[in-house]
Amino acid sequence: MTTATAVAAEWRTKSAKQTRLAFGQALLEIGARESRTVVLSADTQDLLGIRTYIERYRDRFIELGIAEQNAIGVASGLATTGLRPYVCGYAPFLTARSMEQVRNDIAYANQRVVIGAAASGISLGVAGGTHHALEDLALMRSLPNMTVIVPADVDEAYRATLATLDIDGPVYMRLGGRVEEQPVTDPEAPFRLGRAVQLRPGKDVAVIACGALVEMAVRASDALKPEGISVRVLNMHTIKPLDRDAILTAAAETRAIVTAEEHHLVGGLGGAVAELLAVEHPTRMRMVGMPDTFATVGPTNAVRAKYGMSAEGIVEACRAVLDSKKAPATRS
Amino acid sequence: MQETREALLKRLEAQARQIRRNVWRALRAGGSGHAGGSSSAADILAALYFHRLRIRSTEPDWPERDRFVLSKGHANAALGAALAQAGFIEDGVLDRFYGFDSPFGMHPDIKVAGVEMCTGALGHGLAVAMGMALGARIQKQAFHSFVMLGDGELHEGSNWEAAMAASHYRLANLTAIIDRNKISQSGPVAEIVGIEPLADKWRAFGWEVREIDGHDMSEIVDALDAVPLHADRPTALIAHTIKGKGVSFAENTYLWHSNNVNDEIYARALAELGEP
Repeated sequence: MTTATAVAAEWRTKSAKQTRLAFGQALLEIGARESRTVVLSADTQDLLGIRTYIERYRDRFIELGIAEQNAIGVASGLATTGLRPYVCGYAPFLTARSMEQVRNDIAYANQRVVIGAAASGISLGVAGGTHHALEDLALMRSLPNMTVIVPADVDEAYRATLATLDIDGPVYMRLGGRVEEQPVTDPEAPFRLGRAVQLRPGKDVAVIACGALVEMAVRASDALKPEGISVRVLNMHTIKPLDRDAILTAAAETRAIVTAEEHHLVGGLGGAVAELLAVEHPTRMRMVGMPDTFATVGPTNAVRAKYGMSAEGIVEACRAVLDSKKAPATRS
Repeated sequence: MQETREALLKRLEAQARQIRRNVWRALRAGGSGHAGGSSSAADILAALYFHRLRIRSTEPDWPERDRFVLSKGHANAALGAALAQAGFIEDGVLDRFYGFDSPFGMHPDIKVAGVEMCTGALGHGLAVAMGMALGARIQKQAFHSFVMLGDGELHEGSNWEAAMAASHYRLANLTAIIDRNKISQSGPVAEIVGIEPLADKWRAFGWEVREIDGHDMSEIVDALDAVPLHADRPTALIAHTIKGKGVSFAENTYLWHSNNVNDEIYARALAELGEP
């Protein structure tokens, strides 16, 4: 445990704050700890920062080229022999393109494969809609057996990647692109799979966020505090299995929920929270995320902001849900 | 005492006949099924399961076992028959084909003893078997990975991703067997989308190729015994077969890719196949 933190701390000082690179860095430690580790690449060695891993563990690395379907199938076959494959690639191609391989060869076959999916969401904003991955959470969390993790920053990405050593089944690890994720998690806190982390206490509204939106949610909470609005922030780093208790407690205590994610409003974190609350504890909600359109081209943060994925957008959503809470119910 | 060549071939031919009988038995139990592709594969499966594969029915997960992936998973009736005859699963399972909560459905289920991967969605098995072959190399294990592909299945582009990468990694411990029965679900493969020149395609992708008669047990045994055909390349065995082989009304027609089987049809099929 101390070793993990030390390595992360040393690396933090000299590298960009990008979760995709934290994944590659964590693989060095995983390679050292677990001799069954094997890393696969879909011509994405720099994208996930694995060149040092490759130098150190050349015989436990397989480059498969620009062929994601094959990479997933090969990973499944490797896993059946007792190895522990980590597949590195682009989120849009490892999910939408290879969905059937992920479903059948990994999830249905319940193989212990970790998918490191970089450039998710609109983190490659300038690349355009062909390269955005705004449906990957919906796809991955619809699969039985699959664990879905969305780290909020590099420390969490590092710790979450190490945590895969103890996950006996397939894992989808959603990682960012070349835009930096601002530090927001406690680097000393252990990563607990399926357990949300409260980053701000609050009683008026709870923002349940994942990924890059967690740091924005914290800023939104801090911005509303001077107005006397108390905004709880939950970092929901695990989308599946979902932390039902944290969500139901937040709903009961605040009676107003905002979800925030870099994903279509269909099927992602907001959808997961809404599915739970609709059945267990109907609660007024607002959802921050990508509306039902393909995103425009541009720098990531500008594109995020255009569609409301910003601290300001979360502030607006908090105000809106609070207004709806004050208003009398239209139906009862 | 060493089994004579003649005795070996006779034994394997009997197993193949029994696989075909069990295929029709399963299809009658299920009411329908893929007679065509199950029957075309029967002789090769017999040679694999009762001669070539180093496997242990009492220890299905033995780490050193040879791997066999039935990528053309719609031939699961034949795989189930082979696994039952080889002692991996109870013979009675064959009467539960398509049954509720049965381990024996239309396509292979990895949870069943002896089944290496859940397949049948086409274009998956070659990549998975390639992963198994790489796993053997990394862990310095001597087992060989076999995968059986349908010829129509080769329309799926993912096969060619795997074919390209397998030769790049010089996986001599990987063998693809193509059940070249020349007919897919809607008609002759050549009319659906042609795949010739097939041997040239595999050679161009860096594989060592041999073409065999997939119903001549002597040729099948010789080819499987000769694998790997090249010390540095994966092997492709193109087995020319007859869809529905062994039952005249089911042979060489897309109508028997999958079809209904009642008691009368079953009786006619068994009469043609003869005693085990």
